[in-house]
Amino acid sequence: MNALFSSFPFSVRTFGARAMLAASMAAAAHAALAAGTVKIGVPVGLSGANSVVAPSVVQSAQLAVDQINAKGGILGRHVELVVADDGSGAAGAQKAFDSLVFDKKVNALISMETSAARNAGLPIVTRGRTPYIYTSFYEGHSCNRYMYVDAWVPDQQVAPVVDYFMKQYHAKSFFLIGSDYAFGRGMLDFTKNYIEKHGGKVVGNEYLPMDGSDWTPIISKLQAAKPDALITSTAGGAPNVTLTKQLRAAGVKIPYGNLAVDEGTAKSMGPDAQGIYISGSYVTNIDTPANHAFLAAMQKRFGADLKTPNDLSVPEYEAIYLYKAAVEKAGSFDTAKVVPALAQVSFDGPRGTIRMDKERHTPLTMYLAQVQPDGSLKVIESDKNVDPGDQCPHLK
Amino acid sequence: MLNFSLDVVTTAAILFIVASGLLMIFGVMKIINFSHGAFLTVGGYASMIVTQCGLNWWWSLPFSLACGFVLGMLVERFIVRPLYARPLDAILATWGLGIIVGQIITLAFGRGVQMVASPVNGALHVAGAQYSTYRLILVAVAVVVVLVLGGLLNGTRLGLQTRAVIMNEALARGLGISSSRVRFLTFCVGAALASAAGTLITPLSSVDPNMGVPWIVGAFMLVMVSGSSLVSLALACVMLGGAQVAVSTYVNPVLGGVTIAVLAALLLRLRPEGFARG
Repeated sequence: MNALFSSFPFSVRTFGARAMLAASMAAAAHAALAAGTVKIGVPVGLSGANSVVAPSVVQSAQLAVDQINAKGGILGRHVELVVADDGSGAAGAQKAFDSLVFDKKVNALISMETSAARNAGLPIVTRGRTPYIYTSFYEGHSCNRYMYVDAWVPDQQVAPVVDYFMKQYHAKSFFLIGSDYAFGRGMLDFTKNYIEKHGGKVVGNEYLPMDGSDWTPIISKLQAAKPDALITSTAGGAPNVTLTKQLRAAGVKIPYGNLAVDEGTAKSMGPDAQGIYISGSYVTNIDTPANHAFLAAMQKRFGADLKTPNDLSVPEYEAIYLYKAAVEKAGSFDTAKVVPALAQVSFDGPRGTIRMDKERHTPLTMYLAQVQPDGSLKVIESDKNVDPGDQCPHLK
Repeated sequence: MLNFSLDVVTTAAILFIVASGLLMIFGVMKIINFSHGAFLTVGGYASMIVTQCGLNWWWSLPFSLACGFVLGMLVERFIVRPLYARPLDAILATWGLGIIVGQIITLAFGRGVQMVASPVNGALHVAGAQYSTYRLILVAVAVVVVLVLGGLLNGTRLGLQTRAVIMNEALARGLGISSSRVRFLTFCVGAALASAAGTLITPLSSVDPNMGVPWIVGAFMLVMVSGSSLVSLALACVMLGGAQVAVSTYVNPVLGGVTIAVLAALLLRLRPEGFARG
């Protein structure tokens, strides 16, 4: 049903005060006549699995575009966001990409999406020769001539959790639980290799279908295996919550690293989430001027409607600035010049200095945090410039 | 082994609680209520409302029973009753209703996962094993449901009339039993049970607009093989739920997820009356 509506793109007007709307529309129209506008396409899962997080992604894109327009746009051109719903899946993504690339003729695509949607969109990106920045963490090794990624891959996320459990709890045996889909399996396959390479042992590795809600047999196996630590990678939202609740109800108390829980979910889960370790490239309490300025600007722009910025929305904000920097370095919107420039520019954003210079991927500062009794996150350690590893060795 | 037996017993109890409302409605009306999942979801949100008002979680049981009953009254009167003579259309109508209820809940509470605090936490030590307290409580709840429904059907005048309608509706009407009243009350009780089941699974599950969906197929299959008898439903839950736990434990949880559906289909092929006595 979503697919019926998912290809319907709509413009998000990105002006500040409402009273100014008419005036600025006229001004924008004038500017458009003078120099043309720059269109940034944002295919995103407004319906379907990603619909919980997508509004926060659109908000950070709006802020970036507002800020850029307030300072004169990109190469003097006004920036316009074109948001399209990809339905969080392949079928919707094909329509959304098609419409953005060939109908709306966007200059670049910058968005957070599911892996299925990204894979469905990539052939269209290639055909349309459109620069594409993918801003969602994912299972790794997706390579395309026109694509860059400014979020983490398993090589960056898993290591801090496993290392910490081995060092702090002297964990030798691990139990892995996931949802049965590409991201869940990809993350845990990597985790298993990493644990075994570092002298640990995986005593169990179990999956439940994505719509499964009864983890009982898996929890019984976990208790029979008596591992030192537990690492999970479920689909976001419901599976993550059911698993955590049932683990707590069964009295499981070993160190618990959750590769799929985000700050907002952890906060709302209350006492059940207490003690969980999570790892990511963004937490709201990063204490840097850039992050404070970003959070204040978001608060000012969206007020009561603000969706808490997170590890999926902040890379979107930074990616739009990275695109601006690349266009300015190239001195043109020409894809052939912008794509190589994307690897050379950097942006100081809420997550630190972001530079997509490692085989189209990005070295990132990663944070290991533990959920506190009140639901807040306490950063336990941060690792600077964690390398994404060899993601696309064959791409020039 | 003890853990395995406890898994089987508690899984059967949960399946029974979830499927009993569907069985009530199917038994009397011969209509599969495809909005059963939506009624479960309503119960989940009822417990969320109760706990957000600062009341003890256990208050959500009477509240969700009431919500389900009232919703059942409306649905029976305005959607199901005009379709008694057209069971296939009734399936479509209840299926559509499920979608509508899901969307209304989405509009009111958002798509996100809502949190409901659990009434009891932690595990009990049972004969040397450690086991989730709440799952053990659910076994007791399932027994209560059996006793109450059994008492209602076998010990009251309404139950007698209901059984008469189940056996032969035309004859029952000929004897002066108002079958439409029986149908109305059964539908309301079934909806109330479904809603209460939704509340009862919240400590093990997330509360979101689709929370009922994963339960529908299993409940549907169990009712198909049980006909209209509570005893055969209990038997089906233990046998098929046990098979699900066994497959998940000893083979693969992904296969365990389809065990009930596959076994129920096989069973209906070999013995069309399923667990029901002829």
